[in-house]
Amino acid sequence: MSGSFSEKLMRALDTFFEAVMQFLPGLLAALLIFAMGLVFAWLLRVIVRRILVVARFDRFCDSWGASQILGQADVRTTPSALAGASLFWIVLLSFVMAGLSALEVGVISQLITQFFLYLPRLFAALLILLAGFLLANFLSRAALLAAVNAHVPSPRGISLVVKLLIAILSFAMALEQLQIAKSIVLAAFIITFGAVMLGLAIAFGVGGKDVARQILERQLKQREETRRDDELSHL
Amino acid sequence: MGEAPALTEQQRGELRQLGHVDILIGIPSFDNARTIGHVVRAVQAGLAKYFPAERSAVLNSDGGSRDGTPDVVRSASIDNYRTILAAHPLLPVHRIVTPYHGIPGKGSALRTVFAAARAVGARACAVVDADLRSITPEWVDLLITPVLEDGYDFVAPLYHRHKFDGTITNSIVYPVTRALYGKRVRQPIGGDFGFSARLADHYLSQDVWNTDVARFGIDIWMTTTAITGGFGICQSFLGAKIHDVKDPGVDLSAMLVQVVGSVFALMEGNEQLWRSVVDTEPVPTFGLEYAVGLEPLQVNVDRMIGVFRNAAQELAPVWERVLHPEAFRQVQALAPLPPAVFRYPTELWVRTVYDVAAAFHKRTLNRPHLLRALTPLYLGRTASFVLETADASGEDVETTIEGLCRGFEAMKPYLVDRWDSNKGGGL
Repeated sequence: MSGSFSEKLMRALDTFFEAVMQFLPGLLAALLIFAMGLVFAWLLRVIVRRILVVARFDRFCDSWGASQILGQADVRTTPSALAGASLFWIVLLSFVMAGLSALEVGVISQLITQFFLYLPRLFAALLILLAGFLLANFLSRAALLAAVNAHVPSPRGISLVVKLLIAILSFAMALEQLQIAKSIVLAAFIITFGAVMLGLAIAFGVGGKDVARQILERQLKQREETRRDDELSHL
Repeated sequence: MGEAPALTEQQRGELRQLGHVDILIGIPSFDNARTIGHVVRAVQAGLAKYFPAERSAVLNSDGGSRDGTPDVVRSASIDNYRTILAAHPLLPVHRIVTPYHGIPGKGSALRTVFAAARAVGARACAVVDADLRSITPEWVDLLITPVLEDGYDFVAPLYHRHKFDGTITNSIVYPVTRALYGKRVRQPIGGDFGFSARLADHYLSQDVWNTDVARFGIDIWMTTTAITGGFGICQSFLGAKIHDVKDPGVDLSAMLVQVVGSVFALMEGNEQLWRSVVDTEPVPTFGLEYAVGLEPLQVNVDRMIGVFRNAAQELAPVWERVLHPEAFRQVQALAPLPPAVFRYPTELWVRTVYDVAAAFHKRTLNRPHLLRALTPLYLGRTASFVLETADASGEDVETTIEGLCRGFEAMKPYLVDRWDSNKGGGL
């Protein structure tokens, strides 16, 4: 009886140690990959940040209004530092995932495979959002400047509408890319966009018919007056 | 992308057939059928009258006109002028009508003229705009003689204009160019210039023909390049400048983007030079200056102030990023003033322009946006100028402009400070 107990205990301990011995190299490999990832991500952050500073990326972001957006979102870091930090975390996360796969745990491996398959979509969505916000900012400012210089009423309203439309469009595109509630996002976007446009058309064309006529008349009259009154040759 | 050659093989062949030419007059054109006939006749009459013993040619460099401009040039004749000429030309004036190649724009058209001047070995050249209504045969003499007989390389035009005309030139381009490069060329973007073969060669050798210089900005580029290249510069009084108004509703801010953008872009390449210039000097002037009767102009000051006032409210965040805090505060303080007392002080205007130039250099904003944001400020300054000089004579207005130029010169250290500062806002 005692023999069989000690045998069983020894067998269990053997199995445990065997499992530990099998797991340990994987764990060590995972830790090593994590450490390498940490160093590599840190180096990459420093290099990318330096390159962006030399390439005057912050000034470029200033001129395109990206820094302003960051400021509005209460992000106090510079765009180049932000880009470096984002890259650091993405690289580190990838290494962590690679490290975890070294553990050779079935469920984790499956999750990691899914993560790496999803990564390009995440990148694409982030890029769409970034491009959308930059474009929204750029075009809304262009609309504001054009409206102010043309002496059009409510220039800020026009600018805001332009910004909102592009932001909504890019947000919907990003969600579609991430495949989050794809059909709902698409339907919501079509309904919202269509409703806004139809609403504006009805408000301007039917509800505000007289106001619309007044605005158009005033614009045309103003243009005519400008032509008549301003004979100034600026050049 | 490689630069396309200035002349095609066919054009080279035509010019070879023409042989040596002493004087070449270039007329860049695009849809100028209404006026170009008069310009060609005036030029031919000028060549016949003042340079009868020289071999001369008129080259029309056309940008693909659809209104028959090249046909008008081919059919324009100076037969009618024979009665008023003291002598018939000893040599015929050749006419070349050719399309230019490259990026559409006046710059590409003039590049063809420069290349043709080199190909025919011209000693002196001139270019005149195709939309001129006031050109006379004397213009040819005034633009060519300083090059042929006095050894100058660049002849800038000097016009008599209405006191409210040419406000971009008077309030930005002339004062800034003068303060930067030290030469008092009164009409740096006049459009009608005389130049030597040496200078034409220098222009051709510059690597700018795929840039905005080829599209627009060629006039200020020619003047600035002549000054910065150390060429002999003078100006000739041509009388009144009246040109065809093609589109009265042309967008002012687009005009500012092109013209002021060109001035600021040239600052980048010539930084070393303009930093070293501390004084300005007049350039020799040819021709007899005389008063010209000019039609009165209608100016809508209320509208200009209205645009400025509206912009002070709507564009405040944009202006705040560009202007020095003190300048921004002063600009904002102008907005509520009624037209009777509305004045945009000279010093504030100089600061405004220099702040925008520095912001352009530092790319504080997207450049076209930055220059469009300048438009209401410019309108405010122009309204102030019109109100200030409403009862002033032409001479008094020139004195006012001279004062503005001195302001730009005196505040050049401010430009350098702003240029060198790291932040968009404060110094």
